[in-house]
Amino acid sequence: MDAMPTSLLPPAPAPVQSARGPLPSPETLHPSLWLAHQLGRSADNTLPSGFGPLDAQLPGGGWPRRVLSELLLPHPGIGEIRLLSACLAAVQKAGRLVMMFDPPAAVSAPALEELGLDVAQLLVVQTHLQVRPGADRLWALEQSLKSGHVGAVVAWLPQRLRSERLRRLQLAAHAHDGPAFVLREMAAQGHASAAPLRLALHPAGADQLALRLLKRRGPPLLTPLHLALPPVLSASALRRAQAWSEGLAEAPQPLRAATFINLA
Amino acid sequence: MLWVGLHLPWLSLESFAATLPPAQAGQPLALIDAHHIVSANACARALGVTPGLKRATALSLAPHLVLGQADELRDAQALTSVAHAALAFTPAVSLSPPDGVLLEVQSSLRYFGGLQPLVQQLRATLAPLNHQVHCVSAPTAQGAALLSRLHDGLHCADRPALQKALDAAPVWLLSAGSEHREAVRGMGLRTLGELRRLPRAGLSRRFGVALLQELDSALGDRPDPREPVCLPPVFQSQLELFARADTTEQLLYGAQVLLARLVAWLSAQHAFVRRFTLQMKHEPRWRHSTESPAVTVLEVALAEPSRDAVHMLALLRERLGALQLPAPTLELGLQSDDISHRPPPNTELFPTPQSEHAGLTRLIERLQARLGRDQVQRLEPVADHRPERATAVHPAEPLRLRAREAATHRREDVRGTAPKRPLTRPLWLLPQALPLQERHSRPVLDGQMLHVLAGPERIESGWWDNSLAERDYFIAQTVEGALVWLYKARLPLSAERDGWYLHGRFA
Repeated sequence: MDAMPTSLLPPAPAPVQSARGPLPSPETLHPSLWLAHQLGRSADNTLPSGFGPLDAQLPGGGWPRRVLSELLLPHPGIGEIRLLSACLAAVQKAGRLVMMFDPPAAVSAPALEELGLDVAQLLVVQTHLQVRPGADRLWALEQSLKSGHVGAVVAWLPQRLRSERLRRLQLAAHAHDGPAFVLREMAAQGHASAAPLRLALHPAGADQLALRLLKRRGPPLLTPLHLALPPVLSASALRRAQAWSEGLAEAPQPLRAATFINLA
Repeated sequence: MLWVGLHLPWLSLESFAATLPPAQAGQPLALIDAHHIVSANACARALGVTPGLKRATALSLAPHLVLGQADELRDAQALTSVAHAALAFTPAVSLSPPDGVLLEVQSSLRYFGGLQPLVQQLRATLAPLNHQVHCVSAPTAQGAALLSRLHDGLHCADRPALQKALDAAPVWLLSAGSEHREAVRGMGLRTLGELRRLPRAGLSRRFGVALLQELDSALGDRPDPREPVCLPPVFQSQLELFARADTTEQLLYGAQVLLARLVAWLSAQHAFVRRFTLQMKHEPRWRHSTESPAVTVLEVALAEPSRDAVHMLALLRERLGALQLPAPTLELGLQSDDISHRPPPNTELFPTPQSEHAGLTRLIERLQARLGRDQVQRLEPVADHRPERATAVHPAEPLRLRAREAATHRREDVRGTAPKRPLTRPLWLLPQALPLQERHSRPVLDGQMLHVLAGPERIESGWWDNSLAERDYFIAQTVEGALVWLYKARLPLSAERDGWYLHGRFA
């Protein structure tokens, strides 16, 4: 054991003094190795999310490519697209297409433009109106992931989904050079998932999003992360919102009679 | 001159096998003509079925024998497709009925890099047509035609080599004078060489002039003009199925044969198909009523012209999967006249913007074929203040997608993409505004009071197209913190009920 052939190992950053010297730590050997308390690092395979605190917590410093990223939401409309918009806009800026599968409501083109997205580089695929229900949604998603020509995919999956179906999508995502987001109901939290990155999103006040990392390549993050989303409210409205939520937290006072005057 | 002779020894059997459902492909097959077996596949021959047997004898030898009627028209169609495929290599292609095709390739040799690569490519091009092919090259057309019946892969570079090969060939190769075959054998003549050494005058007096003429043109001593195959301007090919097809899978198997023929026709003129039509002729007595059509026509339009049989078959599979056929299908037909001539695309080693664009086009085409054209949508902003009319939804048109300019922008950059100003419109719009309960003149959603934070933003528009909107929009917050978009119908005169409505959610 003394004559450990260190020459077979790739050159370590710290020069090894002798055969008895400290062995290089595994994470310096290869980017796909990490210790349990560290985050995985594959920097060339990620895409910055546009949120500094989130990037610091994501393995590799951003949204991963070639794998599924699962976002769990209590209901649509809590700021999920504002969370993803920077990443999607960057994908479109690189000249690639963004596809949305079965968005939960009608998509408003002016709102997309306000978010910095290019509607010409976006396709919306509706699969729930089909003659052959059920299989089509996953078929369309799988085909798009497999083709490898789509820049980014955002898909709303049905509530009940067998875990092997999700695994199949995860395998298809290997061919997909870009981020793939699947958005699911919060109820899916307890079920097994093949996605290497799982996040739970909660609204946390006006223009704020609380985010828990349920699963990542690295240790689980116990404390929720608070992100300031691209704002909807003006500064004064935001102050009003904060005052209201503080008031709610302190004492749930009975609301006084409205002073709203209906001019009609 | 250098001629390549193609001989398809099992042409009629193979063209019959193409009409069978895939499950029957491995079974013993035989063709009959006038109650006698004329051809049998290897499986049937192993059971003792040989050409010349009577039908009943063959069936007693092999009870599971699948018998088909020999059909010259079917064979001719299959042979024509082989000739079309060969037209991609040289303009001088001629048929040598019943089962041969001749190509004059001297002028194409340099382009394809010699005879060997040319023959290799020719075989690869013919492979999708599912025929066994014998390929022989010789300096004369008739010589190549004769030798291809005997050999596969033989190359006679010059006249002496050809003469040597022909001298060793048996007498039965010559089609002329076949009525004298017994007499020739009785004279002890086995090879063409022995025949050639006999005095010409006596030979022609005894067996007719045609025999000597055929031999002379094979050796190149007599002019042998050939009529080249002309390409029809419209592609049309039929396939009569042996068994009626009930399922998509069976139809696709037949369609695959027709598509291979279409690709051969296209590659002959270096063209790409834009639109083709598949006709399915139905069994009349299975039609539910007299009004139901005897023929179902399926038209497939391609977003980008193509001659990739795999892609076209995939499109056809999705389209057929969504189609309800009124009755089982007996006959398939494929037509096409809408083609586009253009240079073939470059093949790329590494992914490029062009290849990605082509891949996307195909993906969208496949999705549209299965889900329906309207289900793959692109959005377009419309200058209208009413939020429900500010977005127009159109079916996606693959060719309108921009190809990426350069691969240098590969690394996506998030800088500078964050919105500068506060957002004013919610991303998710409810298809129908949801009337909200009211408590103390405040809107209530899911039993929780909403807190109005911003507004009003007045939208009053659309008196000209009978959908007047007179609304005051507010941004409100739910108790948990999500932001919603509400409006209050402004006038009691407007069509809507007075009160609060939920119209969108800020995602």
